[in-house]
Amino acid sequence: MRLDDRLMDFFQRPLMCIIASADRTGQPAAGRGVGFELLDDRETIDVIFSGWQWPRMEQSIRETGKFTATFVSPSDYVTFQLKGSATMRGTEASDIPHADHFIAAATAALCSLGVPPHMIASWLTVRDARVVRLSVREVYVQTPGPLAGMLTDVVSP
Amino acid sequence: MRPRLADLSACFEGVIPSIIATAAADGMPNVSYLSHVIRIGDEHVALSNQFFAKTAANVRANPKVTLILVDGLTGDQYLLDVSFVRSVDAGYVFEKIARQLKATSAQLGMADVMRLKSADIFRVAAIEKVPAPINDPASSPDRQAVDLVVLSDTVSAIDRQVDPGGIIDSLLEGVRRIFGYEHALVLIREDVSGTLTTMGSIGYARSGLGSEISDSEGLIGTAARSGEAIKVNDMSRLRRFGEAIALNSDAAENSTRAIAFPDLPTANSQIAVPMVFRGAVLGVLFVESEARLAFREEDEAALLILATQAASALRASEREAAQTVPVPVPPLPATIAGRGVHVIHHRYDDSIFIDGTYIVKGIAGALLRLILEWHLNEGRNVFTNREMRLAAGPRLPEIKDNLETRLLLLRRRLEEKGAALRIVRVERGRLRLEAEGPITLKVAGE
Repeated sequence: MRLDDRLMDFFQRPLMCIIASADRTGQPAAGRGVGFELLDDRETIDVIFSGWQWPRMEQSIRETGKFTATFVSPSDYVTFQLKGSATMRGTEASDIPHADHFIAAATAALCSLGVPPHMIASWLTVRDARVVRLSVREVYVQTPGPLAGMLTDVVSP
Repeated sequence: MRPRLADLSACFEGVIPSIIATAAADGMPNVSYLSHVIRIGDEHVALSNQFFAKTAANVRANPKVTLILVDGLTGDQYLLDVSFVRSVDAGYVFEKIARQLKATSAQLGMADVMRLKSADIFRVAAIEKVPAPINDPASSPDRQAVDLVVLSDTVSAIDRQVDPGGIIDSLLEGVRRIFGYEHALVLIREDVSGTLTTMGSIGYARSGLGSEISDSEGLIGTAARSGEAIKVNDMSRLRRFGEAIALNSDAAENSTRAIAFPDLPTANSQIAVPMVFRGAVLGVLFVESEARLAFREEDEAALLILATQAASALRASEREAAQTVPVPVPPLPATIAGRGVHVIHHRYDDSIFIDGTYIVKGIAGALLRLILEWHLNEGRNVFTNREMRLAAGPRLPEIKDNLETRLLLLRRRLEEKGAALRIVRVERGRLRLEAEGPITLKVAGE
């Protein structure tokens, strides 16, 4: 599914990211994303997470190839969830600057909302970085309100 | 050592959103934020079923769920593998979550958006601490446990008091001494209207004695109605709850006959603890702090012990005072010298003004009028609670169980406003009127 211009604009904002997969027994794995890169086809996104903090994530993705990432703008709760099939890809040197940029923007946004910096540092680390490549099949609005849970192609103008 | 649910108390305050991951029958995962997780004993948690339809559907199709909980003080994260047990839409657990949801969604300015339909109970299979890149001991202040010896001393101190003023002061002093909290109020509830009136306070620029709030809103009202303690632990992004009346001067008090509620604009944590005696809520102990997460589970439990002891002592005090038998009273001294003391009583709200200054209204105002009429008509200045009950009881059924606290409010307001007359408690169930000059009483609205 191709990400529309509104979503491309959304991804320019400071964001937080939570991610999940599930193993072959159906047990979900949960974690936090600490960076991303949208590919030029606008249908694929690479999401970076810490293999040190979330070791079950990689294992689950390798088992089932199913993955989801929810991105939220902390200042106004605007939230989108991306779902699809995924594979692990090798971490490259260029991934780290993407993560550093993401972490710096998220930290500044959360600090401005009064969240203490030492807490944010517990959540956002790029240690033992892993990258999952998601082919986006579905995008859902998850902003609290009447459109929550709807597919974006249903609610887009 | 693996963490236990009881070790995660700072994760259950709704300060930092939790995360819920589920998977559909076909294995496709779903992940979203979650407003409330409540601990139920050592093996279960309840989730407010505010989440989106997909999460709810997944949970029914596949009971395996993973949660991330976040310690609201340190930021530490915990992974919980849980499995769905059942959904509840009534009962103790549901009511507890509904109250907490109301309090914390009011924190987020979303009180009208968040309405609890049901709560889901999950059994916790495993808890794992997520490694954190920093471990800064300074960031997680290690507060000491509640000192049970000091708590016990305070309970005894409350029990030794015989009048409501001493009981309320001992309670407030205990709050300061045991926990170090600097801002606290005691409000007494009126049975008939449910109105709660401030009878004692510590730490505020203005004492707020006599200020009133309805029991229909806010943390204090919720605690009064439910009989359960309720707290918010991070108000950094929120407006204060709605009881505060925007008044800040004596002039405003005189014109509106409403006393400003004590205000701590920098509060980050607030707790309202009901004062319960045999199932009836007599009042509320309200404490606030500038610290985030100031009220741990054990603090709540210790505050509840103090509040319960105070409620018991207040009820005993009322009963003992009511049994005091009148004895002959000494005659009024010869004419009191000094300037005249001018008292106006307004019938429509029983408000009292002394030399132009608003003092009190309602039951306390009606009682002062009664005392002044006895003084002026019969020439005496010592009165008993018992005769007040007999004389005013038929018109003021509210005083049946709280005459002593109404008289306390009257005494304290007269002192606080520096009025030219005072009510002095001479012994249990007996008080004396003292004035700086001859009293005139004008009744307005007759």
